[in-house]
Amino acid sequence: MDREKQKNELIGFLRTIQRPDYPLDEIDENLGLTESGLIDSLALLQIITYLEQTYDVDFREKGIDPGELRSVRTILDLIAREIAT
Amino acid sequence: MNCSALNEAYRSIAQFHENERLIARVQSWKIIGWLTPNRRRHVLFIGAFFAGIAGVLNRYAPWREYRHAGTWLVPAVAFPVLLAIVYLLYLMALHFKRLPKVVRVRPQICCHLFFWALLLVIWSAPDSSGFGIAVISLIALSFPYLIWRVGYMLLSGQRGKAAGTGFKDHLFYIWPVWDGTNTPPGKGHDNLARAEAQTAEAYARSFLGGIKLLLLVLVWKVVMQVIGAVVYGDPRISLTPLLSGHNLGIPRLKSIISGDAAASLMITWVSLYLELVWEALSIASKGHVWIGILRLFGFNVFRNTYKPLLAETILEFWNRYYYYFKELMVEFFFLPAYLKYFRSQPALRIITAVFAAAFVGNMYYHLIQHKNPLIAGDFVALWQVLGARLIYCFLLAAGIACSMLRQQKQRSSSSSAALPRGGIYRLRSIAAVWTFFAIINFWNIAANITIPERGRLFFSLFGF
Repeated sequence: MDREKQKNELIGFLRTIQRPDYPLDEIDENLGLTESGLIDSLALLQIITYLEQTYDVDFREKGIDPGELRSVRTILDLIAREIAT
Repeated sequence: MNCSALNEAYRSIAQFHENERLIARVQSWKIIGWLTPNRRRHVLFIGAFFAGIAGVLNRYAPWREYRHAGTWLVPAVAFPVLLAIVYLLYLMALHFKRLPKVVRVRPQICCHLFFWALLLVIWSAPDSSGFGIAVISLIALSFPYLIWRVGYMLLSGQRGKAAGTGFKDHLFYIWPVWDGTNTPPGKGHDNLARAEAQTAEAYARSFLGGIKLLLLVLVWKVVMQVIGAVVYGDPRISLTPLLSGHNLGIPRLKSIISGDAAASLMITWVSLYLELVWEALSIASKGHVWIGILRLFGFNVFRNTYKPLLAETILEFWNRYYYYFKELMVEFFFLPAYLKYFRSQPALRIITAVFAAAFVGNMYYHLIQHKNPLIAGDFVALWQVLGARLIYCFLLAAGIACSMLRQQKQRSSSSSAALPRGGIYRLRSIAAVWTFFAIINFWNIAANITIPERGRLFFSLFGF
């Protein structure tokens, strides 16, 4: 799966978990997801589950770096690293 | 002047730190230009040595009172040993990938095991007044303060973020000049580096953000003085005598629970809610000092407390009340449990992780916080101060778990259910959150009574 497709799928997923009162048409790749208020900490858990289930990411050994889940770009970078390894 | 003009005037005063002209003016100050990120870190690094020495001496003085033992040679030996331990842990974070697998997989547990090994040595020593044991005791006394901070450093190593960092990039938050509690405000290197101002403009913004928080501290202190004098009639507050005995005379919750003050059922409930307000103001004013100083040094991190009394859910309150304690519980207890257990059962997964953080983690944090009885092996004293907290932590965890599951269900069932609602609905939600935290706080107040006695008092709140 190429990065663009991964991005579209991820943004589609983020749309399902974003705060309902957050009026945003475009999600910029570099937008801080929690800092901007788009999602809350509970939604971060849903992103973790999404990555585990969709890309088989296993966070158990290296733990979770919140910085890696900061924006669409950092999440896509994480997916790329996981696929490469 | 109409309402919107007043509102605008209030906003421009309250949000002065976002005023672009003011930011440009502060940016033009020589000191702001001179204090580059590197220089600021140098200042904090040098300050860390003084903070470390002061911290060790501060812990030593009460310990001496507790055990009536030791000489001033003890801190003189303990401080360099502690510094060496921190440096060793820094090297471990730096070369994390070369560590044995058992340490790599569970670095935090290894660190805590070291602390408990020190305790075992102290508890099993035949002569507790010896010089060596006194040094080990002082090292162990300092550990509850350091352990979460070095925990963040090890997390940084685990994430591969410590590579290329210097000792000075870590020591300043391990022995911070802003001191604080055992909870590290601003977290560790990863979060601080992310929030660090790199340009003069960003530094000016951070600086003004810090000034704003420090001004807010003054405001909250004044509010606390007024509540203390007008509501409680606290004689220790300088405003109280000026009111010539005119106050509401509502007793503090601790006095009611301890039996030092008699109060009707209604006054007890009022005292319960007031205690929550008081605690929120107290924690906000302390947290604003720590974060204010961090921002003055260019680390534009989140506030520790942000309008918790306006939270509409239990989860939101916990997130806003003491943000960095919640973050600590999440990073060291919630996430490890969340990643490890019940991955295919979402609800059970969340409940387990919440209980790992808000119940187990919370209890453990406070167990090692009571360092004097812990190191002295005084388990009776520990039970006296922590027994009731078991119930508090259990109720807190249950509340957070319910709140999380409810929010998740609302979100997935229909988008309209999760839409924000105003007016009465909002007030009702806020009142419910206040009531929940006011009630569970009953089990968190330090008072010299047994758990059954506290239980009887608790049920009398509901007319039983």
